[in-house]
Amino acid sequence: MISTGIGIGKIRPTKAIWFAGIVLMLFVVLAPIFVMVKYSISDRLSVVTGGLPIPLWPYHPTMEQFQGLAAMDSFIMSAFASMKVALLSAVISLVMGTPAAYALVRYRFPGMMILATLLISVRLFPDIVSVVPIVETFIKLRLVNTLLGVAMAHALLSMPYVIFIAMGVFETIPRDLDEQAQILGASKWYSFTRIMLPVALPGLAAAAIYVFLLSWDEFILAYFLLAFGNVSTLPVLLQKILSWTPQHNLLAAISVMLSVPVIVFTFMVQKYMQTGATAGAVK
Amino acid sequence: MTSYSSNLPAVKNKGIMVAIRRNIFGIIILAPAALYLAGFLLIILFKVVQLALTLTGPQGDLFPTAHHFVRLSKNPEFQGAFLRTVWFTLIGTPLELIIGMAAAFLVVGEFKGRGVIRSLMILPLAIPSIVTAIMLYIIFDFPGGHVNDLLMGRHAFFPFQVISHPLDWRGSGFFSLMVAMFGKVWRDMPISMLIILAGLQAIGKDQYEAAKTLGANAFQTFFRITLPLLTPAMATVLVLRSIEVWKEFIFPFILAGSYPLLATLIDQAYHEWRNPNEACAIAFILLVLIIMSTVLIFHVLKWLRRRLVRV
Repeated sequence: MISTGIGIGKIRPTKAIWFAGIVLMLFVVLAPIFVMVKYSISDRLSVVTGGLPIPLWPYHPTMEQFQGLAAMDSFIMSAFASMKVALLSAVISLVMGTPAAYALVRYRFPGMMILATLLISVRLFPDIVSVVPIVETFIKLRLVNTLLGVAMAHALLSMPYVIFIAMGVFETIPRDLDEQAQILGASKWYSFTRIMLPVALPGLAAAAIYVFLLSWDEFILAYFLLAFGNVSTLPVLLQKILSWTPQHNLLAAISVMLSVPVIVFTFMVQKYMQTGATAGAVK
Repeated sequence: MTSYSSNLPAVKNKGIMVAIRRNIFGIIILAPAALYLAGFLLIILFKVVQLALTLTGPQGDLFPTAHHFVRLSKNPEFQGAFLRTVWFTLIGTPLELIIGMAAAFLVVGEFKGRGVIRSLMILPLAIPSIVTAIMLYIIFDFPGGHVNDLLMGRHAFFPFQVISHPLDWRGSGFFSLMVAMFGKVWRDMPISMLIILAGLQAIGKDQYEAAKTLGANAFQTFFRITLPLLTPAMATVLVLRSIEVWKEFIFPFILAGSYPLLATLIDQAYHEWRNPNEACAIAFILLVLIIMSTVLIFHVLKWLRRRLVRV
């Protein structure tokens, strides 16, 4: 009686719609990334075409933009500045955030859960609202136009993530482990630094990578804090070049250099980000 | 009796002291992070309110005063930015949810190569926002960007002339903010997708089987089971995304410089007008808007959930 409509050689309409949807989605997702790579290896004639349509693949693919970057002082300096800021902010947020996460997991103090929620939801506070007060305060502390200032501001953004990820890591470690160490005479500090931290290391490494990337591609705070100085991080350099000479292939080459570490590491910590996203921690 | 009651506060104090002493290690290692975050937050809130309500004149500071708010409300640039921000959010937030849901429904089933496709869908998360914004700047360039070339039918594979003249995407408030919104939604799609995906996978298979046994068709299954059970995930997406869209800065900053939203107007007030007080007043208004909209969305969703889930 009931014909399902599935036969050999017939394609169900829902399946066709689904397939078209996947193709469309992948196209939209990949197009900007393709354009970025394409422009970064474009020769001059494929960018400045003089009225002709821009080719979908450069006439003469070239690495000259990347060779140019290697000799470009402002790029090298900004890349190092970005790395320093990212490392410094990761260190600040991990050194403060990891013990805090341990305390939040292991100590049941009245109001502890409220405190944990508050600390993590600092992340939701809009950065664009906080940026002017931070700059005004940092002007007085002489932290504007310094990498330390940017790193401190970035640590403010990344610490909630560190606390959140590290809490998840410590929760998976059985309570017996540190209790037994303490029964055997280890101090609380010893059992935390010598027993808990080594066990938690893989998860904490993911947190470190995550907050490194967070600082590496952060723009708003870095832009406000470094706007009129001579140091800039890579995202700020990109914006500066865009406002001076929007040379498309140079912009694309710097974009590739900025994105590659993020792409590589994102897939390494994807598992942790997935749980973070579902818990509402990833912005 | 009297001695007992007079002893009570002391006993209570002693209890707190014992609790503190027992947890002293935890308190000490929690303190740096808590003080760092709370300190920054207090300074930020204090500074926003203080600067927004202070008028610096030749005779010294005047505090508190609504001067900056009054001046802003008469400023056509602020009025424009306010209106643009409202419609940007009203369109952007539902769009984020719809695109995220579409992506999640596309990849939720079992099919060959699902892992690869899911990984590719997460790629936007790995591209820094500033890079995405600059790529869209290049793609939607005027007069010779990819999108203009395509719409003018200048490529052999798409010879249809949709527009006769190249569009200046950054020259119109509507188009430039639409491109900015496209960037924002593109960049955020993976997060919304992951949240919805987790919500979808949390729905038990037995629910669908029960519906099938009872003879429900696809539409009934979707509207009576999937959608109501998905509302918590959808609520998470809506609340988080609405905050993100209200305060969006990078995309409108790069792509719609001449048509500021409230967030980009803060930059303008601070760097161009050289007026940190007005910048903080705008920031304060934005903060109030975000809080109000979050509370509103919360209540609407609660009401909606009660209507949808009929037990």
